[in-house]
Amino acid sequence: MSKRRPQVVAVIFGGRSVEHDVSIVTGHQIMSAFPTDSYRVVPVYIARDGRWFTGEPLTNLDNFKGDGALNLDGVQPCLLSPDTRHHGLIINPLAGRFRQSEVQRLDVVFPALHGSHGEDGSLQGLLELADIPYVGCATLGSALTNDKIMTKMALRQAGIPVIADYWFSRETWLEQADDIVAAICSEFDFPLFVKPATLGSSIGIGRADTPDMLRASIDIAANFDRRILVEPAVTSGIEINCSVIGTGDDFQASTLEQPVSWDEFLSYEDKYLRGSEGMKSAERIIPAPLSPELTRHIQQLSIEAFKAVDGRGIARIDFLARPDRDELYLNEINTMPGSLAFYLWREDGFSQTDLVQRLVRFALDAHAEKRRNMYDYQTNLVAVASRRGLKGSKGKG
Amino acid sequence: MPEAVLISIWLIGAWLRILRQSRFYQIEEYMSRRYLRWLLRDWRRALPLRPLAAWMAGVAFVFARGDATGSHLPFLVALVAAAIAAVPPATTEEKSPLVVTQRLKRLLFGAGLASALGAGAAVWLTSNAGYANAAAGVGLASSLGFALFLLAPLWLVAGNALMGPAEAALRRRYLKQAAATLDKLQPKIIGITGSYGKTTTKHFLRDIMSARYATYATPKSYNTLMGVSLAINRDLADDYRSEYFISEMGAYVEGEIERICQLTPPDIAIVTEVGPQHLERFGSLENIMRAKYELVRNLPADGVAVFNWDNPYIREMIAQGYPATRLSVSRQASLEDARGQDITWVASDVSESLSGLAFRACHVASGEQALIETAVVGEHNVTNLLLCIAVAFHEGITLREIAGRIRGLRPAESRLAAETTASGITIINDAYSANPAGVVSALKVLRLHVTGKRLLITPGMVELGALQDSENHKLGLLAAESATDIILIGRGQTASILAAIQSTNFDQSRLHTLESLDDAVNWYRQNLRAGDTVLFLNDLPDTY
Repeated sequence: MSKRRPQVVAVIFGGRSVEHDVSIVTGHQIMSAFPTDSYRVVPVYIARDGRWFTGEPLTNLDNFKGDGALNLDGVQPCLLSPDTRHHGLIINPLAGRFRQSEVQRLDVVFPALHGSHGEDGSLQGLLELADIPYVGCATLGSALTNDKIMTKMALRQAGIPVIADYWFSRETWLEQADDIVAAICSEFDFPLFVKPATLGSSIGIGRADTPDMLRASIDIAANFDRRILVEPAVTSGIEINCSVIGTGDDFQASTLEQPVSWDEFLSYEDKYLRGSEGMKSAERIIPAPLSPELTRHIQQLSIEAFKAVDGRGIARIDFLARPDRDELYLNEINTMPGSLAFYLWREDGFSQTDLVQRLVRFALDAHAEKRRNMYDYQTNLVAVASRRGLKGSKGKG
Repeated sequence: MPEAVLISIWLIGAWLRILRQSRFYQIEEYMSRRYLRWLLRDWRRALPLRPLAAWMAGVAFVFARGDATGSHLPFLVALVAAAIAAVPPATTEEKSPLVVTQRLKRLLFGAGLASALGAGAAVWLTSNAGYANAAAGVGLASSLGFALFLLAPLWLVAGNALMGPAEAALRRRYLKQAAATLDKLQPKIIGITGSYGKTTTKHFLRDIMSARYATYATPKSYNTLMGVSLAINRDLADDYRSEYFISEMGAYVEGEIERICQLTPPDIAIVTEVGPQHLERFGSLENIMRAKYELVRNLPADGVAVFNWDNPYIREMIAQGYPATRLSVSRQASLEDARGQDITWVASDVSESLSGLAFRACHVASGEQALIETAVVGEHNVTNLLLCIAVAFHEGITLREIAGRIRGLRPAESRLAAETTASGITIINDAYSANPAGVVSALKVLRLHVTGKRLLITPGMVELGALQDSENHKLGLLAAESATDIILIGRGQTASILAAIQSTNFDQSRLHTLESLDDAVNWYRQNLRAGDTVLFLNDLPDTY
């Protein structure tokens, strides 16, 4: 290829989600991984209340320590235009007498949002409208994997082992709590896990050893989501995580890890804030001490699962295993894993820079693949309809 | 005052004539010399008969009855004569009607102003001259009015000169705006030039590159500095999508491509063909070659040039050794030759049928190859496609994907597009700017149609300068071989085709010379049946 201008990558972080702060950390890890000679990084920060900002100071993590980031010089409001012509951000969209709005063209968008309004397909939908290449799962894959109930339905259909569950809506819980508790107790043995359907990072998840604890856990979970899921706990199991990257037909699974604090269950703080580099320093064993056969089996299942949910880009897939009893369950698929699971890919010889560049390449490939579709199919339907008059366009003529 | 009334009526007549003439002025691209040369080629254009007769009759009568002092009759007769002269003639067939642009409005304003000033001077002259009698005044006013009418073409020229500074200022502003827009978008620019094949290659390349990149190409055959800047200002002002901008660059004189390159500095240059197109204006083929090479010269040192190796003039360009990355394509060289000659892409096993072209494209260095199939016909398109393949491959699109895109290509409008009418007659349209290479391809395509009569309708080729007669002679020989029926349109420029056909044993009863395209269309509607084929080859502007 002949010379190219640097590729403009927008990294979007923050977001209207309980995982807002995690996303800031992930976003800055991603931004610092891009080599400056061939990429130009545009930071896009979505505040907790949903306002969008861009500007150079947002690339500096230190500026996020207090609440002052948004008042810094050079930080400007922006929005991502769904109009395909803009192909990027409109900076200062509500330009006044003294400020001009301008367009910042983006070559590719790297969403670093966790959880709601970002990892759930909504941002992806906006990017589809804007027709801008973006890293990670498309609308369907993001929305599907964001919902534990739907993910398990799809995976069961694909023959991938998942834990049995019982799920219900918040409305039902508020009206028929006794029936639900009775049904759960007759179906499963304690201990149980209670999970909001669409949240990651352990938030709202509770463990119940008795019916009273079950009620309390469900009440807590019901604050976080409209739908709730209850599963039997896999006691004395180990957690195994595997990351997958790829697009189209070409996927690759990473080295496996075993987080060691499984039996004490990771709290939110454990998972992200221990040490300064996010998840990397949580206590874990890499590679996970499993037989080569089981390792390969889990890697294979990871790829199959990612394909089954129409995944692309990257995911970290969490399993629960009891190797002694030959039990293995897929527990969760994170399509925007904290820290992009850098620590796993390092074992496979990828630097952070390699990883983000590959993910950008996948995004461009996927977008090119979408270009093969025709969207501009000329018909004379409108002309016919206007000739007949709208009422007669069907049937009567 | 009767003089002022008379002159005003003649002025209205002059304005109406200016309006009619402005269409031809527009066809000659607002170039006064070209327009006047066209005008004077036939004295009837410059000296319309009806106004001449009206003026002569009027003046004759006025002088014959000039002694009748106090009579209004001479004035009334002169008035009627002026009115008769002013009424526009019945309109005839117009292939390219007047396009009312801002520029045309300014031109008409200038011409109207110039002619009004002339009329003012005439009124001043008639009212300040001493006359022997009133009839002399009427006669002078009629004559000055007729002169006003006769000079309509010159008022156009004067109007154009009058608006010159304003036009130049507007052009500069327009160019600046286009340059600012491109600067903001920073697309990678692909320049295409050549004597022919530019527009087709541009459209093919846009469709192929769109497999992977947002690609904008200037519409239709916009290929002048103002055309390109018009496209930028109109289409790209708020459009940040395009990663590639394909700029077609045409030239009638040296330096023109240089100027387009300053507006759209190319990163990639494609040279399709060098041939005698517009030879008349360039003077020599060497001048044409130099003009086209301006595109390559304007590449940065790390730019990419893509050449049609089969053209000897373009081979000379390759030999210049600039820039470092030079890709070349050939549909004539074999793979072995290509290795020795440093050719990048070759085509082999070229076959053409009614369903389209098929060939094998081979990347000489790697040996990678793919079967290319397309509904597009015309063997010269193999070269156009190879040029596109070279660019797309170099820009990172796989050969497999390129082949897939080519399968979906459609011929550009008026360029060898075939369609079958409801009555079963196949129409092949190659109505746009026929050139020697294109003619050979088009006639080959005509020969593929073997189900019935094969009718060729052509006015011949023009603007080929010294080569015009010999190229038209070749066209005639090839036409006699390829068609079963031939209609030539117009007599002047088709003489050498006629002579060539008559020198063969082509059945003279199946050869017709008609006056207009309409006549030709009527002829085939009456004489052709289902299964027959018509090839429209070239379509001349109304100034022929």
